[in-house]
Amino acid sequence: MTKTLKTKTPADESGLDRRSFLKGAAAAGAVTAAMTAATKVAQAAEAKAHKPEGEANQRGDAFIPRPGSDFMLDVIKSLNIDYFASNPASSFRSLHESIVNYGGNKKPEFLTCMHEESSVAIAHGYAKAAGKPMGVLCHGSVGLQHAAMAVYNAWADRVPVMMFAGNGMDANKRRPGVEWTHCVQDPAGLVRDFIKWDDQPASLQHFAESTVRAYKMAMSPPQEPVLITLDIELQEEAVEGKPSIPKLSLSAPPQADELALREAAKMLVAAQNPVIVADRCARSQQGVDALVKLAETLQAPVICTGNRMNMPSSHYLNLSESRPGLIRNADVILMLEVQDPWGILHGMGDPWKDVRRAAKPDVKVIQISLADFMMKSNYQDFQRFCPADLAISGDAQTSLAPLTAAVKREMSSTRAAELAGKADDLKKRNRDMKERVKTAAALGWDASPVSTARLSVELWNAVKNENYCLAVSDRIAWPKRLWHTTKFTNMMGGSGAAGVGYSSPGAVGIALANRDKGILTVTLQPDGDMCYAPGVLWTAAHHKIPLLWVMYNNRGYVQEIMHLQRMAGLHRRDAKTAKVGTMIYEPEVDFAKLAQSFGVWGEGPISDPGKVGPAIERALKVVKGGAPALVDVVCQLR
Amino acid sequence: MRRLAVAAAALLCASAVLAQDAPKGSAERGKKLFVDLNCYSCHGTQGQGGGRNSEPPIPLGYPFAGFVNQMRKPRLDMPAYEEKLVSAQEIADIYAYFSSIKAAPAAKDIPQLKGL
Repeated sequence: MTKTLKTKTPADESGLDRRSFLKGAAAAGAVTAAMTAATKVAQAAEAKAHKPEGEANQRGDAFIPRPGSDFMLDVIKSLNIDYFASNPASSFRSLHESIVNYGGNKKPEFLTCMHEESSVAIAHGYAKAAGKPMGVLCHGSVGLQHAAMAVYNAWADRVPVMMFAGNGMDANKRRPGVEWTHCVQDPAGLVRDFIKWDDQPASLQHFAESTVRAYKMAMSPPQEPVLITLDIELQEEAVEGKPSIPKLSLSAPPQADELALREAAKMLVAAQNPVIVADRCARSQQGVDALVKLAETLQAPVICTGNRMNMPSSHYLNLSESRPGLIRNADVILMLEVQDPWGILHGMGDPWKDVRRAAKPDVKVIQISLADFMMKSNYQDFQRFCPADLAISGDAQTSLAPLTAAVKREMSSTRAAELAGKADDLKKRNRDMKERVKTAAALGWDASPVSTARLSVELWNAVKNENYCLAVSDRIAWPKRLWHTTKFTNMMGGSGAAGVGYSSPGAVGIALANRDKGILTVTLQPDGDMCYAPGVLWTAAHHKIPLLWVMYNNRGYVQEIMHLQRMAGLHRRDAKTAKVGTMIYEPEVDFAKLAQSFGVWGEGPISDPGKVGPAIERALKVVKGGAPALVDVVCQLR
Repeated sequence: MRRLAVAAAALLCASAVLAQDAPKGSAERGKKLFVDLNCYSCHGTQGQGGGRNSEPPIPLGYPFAGFVNQMRKPRLDMPAYEEKLVSAQEIADIYAYFSSIKAAPAAKDIPQLKGL
């Protein structure tokens, strides 16, 4: 016969178990009861402490028929979360066990990670490609501390992540030693400045409602990470009563006000040189298609910042590489979810901080953004304040179609004909722009180490006939300049906060989301970033995530070399020392061997530009077979 | 980038004669200096520039006078290299290295760039 392991504690005996304590803490009568109970608690604990050790074995036949973590998993399954990325930890051991046994390790599947920063970055990349969040399990204190940088990246990149942090809230239930060190009074306090919402549920019903609420909030634009604390006792105690799971109903994204869109349409139709700047505008192909329609209706050139694939590079209105001239001549600029509007209109010299105006003084600025809805005070990713002539709160992707409709309503047939006449000139500008870029790419074509342009073009030639995805598309600018993009999934932007350590795990998450869609995922991987948490190579190998890493191995943190050079010049000292503390050499890291040691196919290092293409072809065969591969290419520094 | 191009073009026109007056330098020493001084971190080992942001290329045929001026009193964000840190002879060596670099193939002659 089995019995439920619901060990009575001194607190239970006093009628003050953890849940009733939490529920009753606000009641005035509880204070007196607690004080009375305190004596009993102390006496009982004292008595328990002196029991012979053998007595503990009397509970060897005790079991928990349905732990709270099973119900938690039911809640998680109701949200259709496919994966949990995690480095294992005792504070969520019960949920971990529920995932692999009660849930059969399917939907969600547990992804074994080797660093919490990798867990979150995997979830970050996955959400951008999958269009929905992944779960992340973290140890409440130390795990969340490891994860923090990656959470900030996801925050700055406006990406939903469902974070869960294990923690023991009831000090009376903590084992002495490490469990105390790893428990925290307010786990979310560590990351609250850069998550959208958090809660610390005190009951299973509370967990169900808060988890569904957290998912709903994470998915509502502006999309952001959220955090639910998992109480150890709540996971490990048996389910009491019949907690229910609320139905998930996602909120429709907020569309901009119709009257405001009409005003914007009037300004855009009347403009002689309108320009559209798109930052984190599109979340899906729907956003890309909607932006194409607006741009074509206005015959307005589009500048993409590169954080999302908003506008196909193959479209003649994508003139991102002509940004300075377009901004300089614009009379109306429409900014779509632009994180740094001031930075579009201005430049700033370094180190003298001299401001250089990039646009006309009287340029009219229209902003459509949800920026006002996600600002917090402490972290400054909201950028410098930039006044607008027309500021519209609304989700840009959702607002594009009604804006296009408003533009069409405001446009006379005469004006439409005038705008159509601009197309030939814009097409010529696009062709000229591409020729300039190709000419620039040819410089240093046969250089060794390999030029970043050559590296990008060799990779392009290997994937150009595939349904491809460049997972991290902001570390080298050449693909944005040269590659043909037509789909939202072709390029997935960068980290968000420029926190080093995203690129490799972020790419793994993107490749995981793409695996079931038949999309071939490749990435240009900086060496410094790979060195942050290379264990993600093993995660990719273990879970058979097909991803091709092509190392952009410049053997250093090169941006910092430039900073040191600049400082040395200003200080009238020797710039030769700029390599100290910035270069990764003597010894050089052998990334092919590193990959192989984690079970990933690896080749390199390659310094001969003529050998890059064939190596990539060999690696792609491995990736197409369903496994990850890495090609280490020693590159020019920039 | 455009400002750099304009400046480079102006220098090319104004200093064509001065280019002939460049002191003799060692391309071999210049290549080493280019790496030691970390010039290649922005400009690339062949002066091709970079691909991360807009790290500027060094146009082949850049006049010596303009080359010296850019090192001593640089425009934009490049650090200055004073005489006490980089001698006139060393500048001549670096210039000799640049003068020895072969021109890159034209984009139209590179098979991998076709179709882009």
